[in-house]
Amino acid sequence: MPFVALKLSEFTSTYHRSGAMPTVVLMDSSLSMTRPVSQEGSEEFQRKNLAVHGLTMLFEHMATNYKLEFTSLVAFSSLWELMVPFTRDYNTLQEALSNLEDYDKTCLESALHGVSNIVQQEWGSTCPCQVVLVTDGALGIGRGSLRHSLHTLKQRVEDKKFPLPFPFPAKMFIMCIANVEELQSTDAMDNLEQLIGLNGGEGQIFTMEGPLCLKSVQSMFGKLIDQAYTPFYAVLHCGNLASDVQVFPRPEPVLVDEEVDPIPKAVQTDLEIVGFIEIADISSPPVLSRHLVLPIAVNKEVDEVGAGTTEDAEEEPSANQMAGKSPNFCVLLHGSLKVEGMVALVQLGPEWYGMLYSQADSKKKSNLMMSLFEPGPEPLPWLGKISQLGPISDAAENPYGEDDSKSPFPLQPKNKRSYAQNVTVWIKANGLQTDVQKILRNARKLPEKTQTFYKELNRLRKAALAFGFWELLKGVAELLERECTLLPDSAHPDAAFQLSHAAQQLKLASTGDSQYSAFNHNITPLHTDFSGGGAGDRM
Amino acid sequence: MKVTSSRFSHKTAFVVDHCPYMAESSRQMVECDMLTKSRGQGVIPLAPVSKSLWTCAVECSMEYCRILYDVYPTRKLVRSYVHYIVSDSEFHSLNSWRQEDQSTQELMAALASVGPPNPREDPECCSVLHGLVAAVESLCAITQYQHEARRTLMDVADRVANRGRIICLTNAKSDTHVRMLEDCVSETIQEQNKLAAGSDRLMPIQRCELVLVHIYPQGDDTLVSDRSRKELSSVLSSEVHSVRAGRHLASKLNILVQQHFDLASTTITNIPMKEEQHANTSANYDVELLHHRDAHLEFIKSAQPCFLCTGDLHMAGSTSRDSGLKETVTLKWCTPRTNNVELHYCTGAYRISPVDVNSRPSSCLTNFLLNGRSVLLEQPRKSGSKVISHMLSSHGGEIFLHVLNSTRSTLEDPPSISEGCGGRVTDYRITDFGEFMRENRLTPFSEGVLDASGRTSSERAKAQLERHTRYWPMIISQTTIFNMQAVVPLANLIVKESLSEEDVLTCQKTVFNLVDMERKNDPLPISTVGSRGKGPKRDEQYRIMWNELETLVKAHVGSSERHQRVLECISACRSKPPEEEERKKRGRKREDKEDKAEKNGKDADEKAWPDSERLKGPQEREKEEQTESEMIKDSPDSPEPLNKKPRLMSEEIQPPQKSKGPVSLLTMWTNRITATSRKHEVFAGRLNSVNNKAELYQHLKEDNGMDLHENGKATR
Repeated sequence: MPFVALKLSEFTSTYHRSGAMPTVVLMDSSLSMTRPVSQEGSEEFQRKNLAVHGLTMLFEHMATNYKLEFTSLVAFSSLWELMVPFTRDYNTLQEALSNLEDYDKTCLESALHGVSNIVQQEWGSTCPCQVVLVTDGALGIGRGSLRHSLHTLKQRVEDKKFPLPFPFPAKMFIMCIANVEELQSTDAMDNLEQLIGLNGGEGQIFTMEGPLCLKSVQSMFGKLIDQAYTPFYAVLHCGNLASDVQVFPRPEPVLVDEEVDPIPKAVQTDLEIVGFIEIADISSPPVLSRHLVLPIAVNKEVDEVGAGTTEDAEEEPSANQMAGKSPNFCVLLHGSLKVEGMVALVQLGPEWYGMLYSQADSKKKSNLMMSLFEPGPEPLPWLGKISQLGPISDAAENPYGEDDSKSPFPLQPKNKRSYAQNVTVWIKANGLQTDVQKILRNARKLPEKTQTFYKELNRLRKAALAFGFWELLKGVAELLERECTLLPDSAHPDAAFQLSHAAQQLKLASTGDSQYSAFNHNITPLHTDFSGGGAGDRM
Repeated sequence: MKVTSSRFSHKTAFVVDHCPYMAESSRQMVECDMLTKSRGQGVIPLAPVSKSLWTCAVECSMEYCRILYDVYPTRKLVRSYVHYIVSDSEFHSLNSWRQEDQSTQELMAALASVGPPNPREDPECCSVLHGLVAAVESLCAITQYQHEARRTLMDVADRVANRGRIICLTNAKSDTHVRMLEDCVSETIQEQNKLAAGSDRLMPIQRCELVLVHIYPQGDDTLVSDRSRKELSSVLSSEVHSVRAGRHLASKLNILVQQHFDLASTTITNIPMKEEQHANTSANYDVELLHHRDAHLEFIKSAQPCFLCTGDLHMAGSTSRDSGLKETVTLKWCTPRTNNVELHYCTGAYRISPVDVNSRPSSCLTNFLLNGRSVLLEQPRKSGSKVISHMLSSHGGEIFLHVLNSTRSTLEDPPSISEGCGGRVTDYRITDFGEFMRENRLTPFSEGVLDASGRTSSERAKAQLERHTRYWPMIISQTTIFNMQAVVPLANLIVKESLSEEDVLTCQKTVFNLVDMERKNDPLPISTVGSRGKGPKRDEQYRIMWNELETLVKAHVGSSERHQRVLECISACRSKPPEEEERKKRGRKREDKEDKAEKNGKDADEKAWPDSERLKGPQEREKEEQTESEMIKDSPDSPEPLNKKPRLMSEEIQPPQKSKGPVSLLTMWTNRITATSRKHEVFAGRLNSVNNKAELYQHLKEDNGMDLHENGKATR
């Protein structure tokens, strides 16, 4: 068994958000790492040397294929220390790696706390991270050992919780400078498996095959690279225009937890533009992750699966330089998206979409970016179903207008939300008081405010009927009758008529007589000779 | 926008007791005659009114539904259905699981038809039990969503879950009475599940959560004790809330809707608002909103004890004023400065519902947003650093709380696109592609619209992109026809899926027009740089143009017979000079050179042309020009260069409107460059290269000519 993979899918979160994935390398610097490796050759290696060799390989790979990834280095024994904060400078990492000193015993729990803090301080708690733990599998003894940590897992008080699962989405890769047999001879393997389990099953344990030597450590780290650090290449299509691209960071498969079956979805390697939409129309949509879309030189053979060894990768820059001078669709697309203030809707797979747009980092630097929407036929309610979006030339008339003054977006929902439809809520007394006052205010300005008066009156009537609040109808009727008696001599004669008419109608409604208490019935103004046919509401 | 984790939220059945005792007053008095205070004496104020238990129950349950429908409208991923049932001597179902019935207006109308309970009805015949039984039955009924899910998952139809919640608002007599209600629900579930097992139209209930809310008037002692959730059977759990009518009931249901639907509360603070009375003063208000709790993901996670920085984040107020026990997160309003449309990096968007929807601050805020403006929200932090973490924005009459990424970006400082592949090329057809994008904008079509070949709207959009890109040169120097205004009508039409007779006619006219241009020997926007306006000869230029036009039309010839006719028209009309083969050979050489030269010229258009290049330009051109003139001399059919020169000059001076294409500007620029280059010392040598004779006063002549250039073109 070369390595043990644990995948506990029931623990995975609703959406596995993928984004840029900073890496924390957590390097065991305990004394046990200095144990020599038995070898026939002249040179004697320590386990630490093998670890450093493996990490060097990882760093070299990232320096060429993952230039934009941030990596940090943490060394730990009973204490932990941040050797290199998150950086893209792999030389610094390499240097720190080669200057590592040896310390006392392994204490993983405090080191994992350290990782948790470092990541959150730098990236917050939504950014997914990868933790590469390099250890010999001697996980400490007594207090502070992993065994002890795991045994006491259930007896923790609130502020001394075990750091796993991390508050941010994390994948944990455990690189053991040991082989399976050795780890299984103690409970080390069990403990490490438990650790991955605590991380929600997100991660993997890698062990060395055969004798502990440079070759086997290389093959182990090669597997890690294949698993977690292969670049993602794709072809971006816009009809017949196309460009080979690297999508960075690589988009990770997304788990869609519908009510029925979680289906993992991966971004396909052909990214097809469906059409274009104005930035104002797409309107800052929520996205799962953002990626740079970097045009790449059309290589004779782009090895998508292989780890991409350093040799063939080295040729790329020069090829890229040459490619700088031949026209590339990405650059054209980027330029026009930027100038026009538009985004391109791109299909990532069946019922999965994203958008391409120009992202300016500063005034000078800008880039083609791709954001992934939530998988599904309708990722944004204000666009509707993507499959129903078609070319404007199919429409009877240009929905954007001849002068771009209109837009078919956003789509309106079938029902208005409560805040957009003047609902009546009387849970608080002042809600009710305001509504009654509105009626009284208008009552005093009759007949000028006849229309508003009846509008407010009918609103109150409807709500009172729905809430079975007949007492209120009677009360307001009385108020209106009183207003009628309080009318000044100068009042328009129509006012008195309307007030007593309204009061009478409310009273009838409060009897529950179906003739007068129908919900959809509206009290209409009384037709009087004074109103002259139109009680105009001069608002 | 996210799938809720509330497992019971798909189906909610409200059962509201409509028995005579619910007509009792809640004894919570509402003063509605507020204005009398300010009026003269002698006015007897109206006695305060009081709501009945029924009114309290109805308005609080409607508030529950209002929030629910605001945050989870039914057509979205999360489908939350409410079945509203009232119960007296029988049950009255006010709506159904159908989509159309899921709105507060529908429920209000139905409630009005039921009216308040009749206090004179015989209490012996009335019971909330009728409603509870009906609720269980309705939970077994299949909703539209469940029906669709079962249909799409034929083989695993049994995996479609059927869980639900019954919220019962009643006035119970005692704990024993409550137990009786629970037992009844439990038994009914058993019976119904048996029935459902043998039916296609019913689904057995897998889990049911019963929430009993006992409502009693203010001032009374409760006869029913609170009880937290208890499992009554493998299917049923039950909890009991004993609440006073009025305010307490409202806040209880507000808490329940938050718990049941994973909601959280955000209070927007510091909203500046004009005072109603004094329009020139403004005060700051707070508005509380409810939304899915994932909008607070960052806070929830970072509030974990292991995170050392928690202290920095100010989790405002342990208790929000309106929602009782629930916590609220305070975010500060940032007055929008511009109306610029920006694309924010947003990690989530969640519908909101204002807690106090009718209050003036709430409606001011929502109206502001509904009018299309967005507001950024800032986290109040003790340390004083400004962190914008959220944004409120409306889309089509719905307001969303957007979560913005406020942490360090892992994509910071990427290399610019100009440093990568194709980054050094400077004459991309940016404007043309912009136009292309506008033509390929999307618009929504109604559901299920398929074209003749069964393609959906988005497939048609892709098909259009395919047609429009069959021949689409990416850089200006790769094309002639797309730089010519005269070709536009044909180029726009030929990409269409089908052509009308009229379209064909237009295309033909375009071709005739080109023929006419050729006959008149009109200049083409083929680069003339480097050969001081000479470039390929005019007929050569037309040959290039015709070839390109043919390429474009050939790409579409398969579309229809009418497309074919356009091609035939071109083939028939285009000039076919003799010795074409020979010309081609030479032409190719020239084209190469001209491409290169034109690129230089274009570079000048773009600012990206480095200075060194600019200086080098004229000299290079000088060399090219030398070879060019040699070649022309060698060519048997080329006229004497000397003869041609004057004509060429006059052509250059011609006003640009004759060559309408965008290149006219380029030509002008080119001429300017050429003119400038004449100021150089190489000038004399160049003259020699044209003609070995040195004419007298030649300098004078040239200078005059140049002045004319400068004056004739008011480019600056």
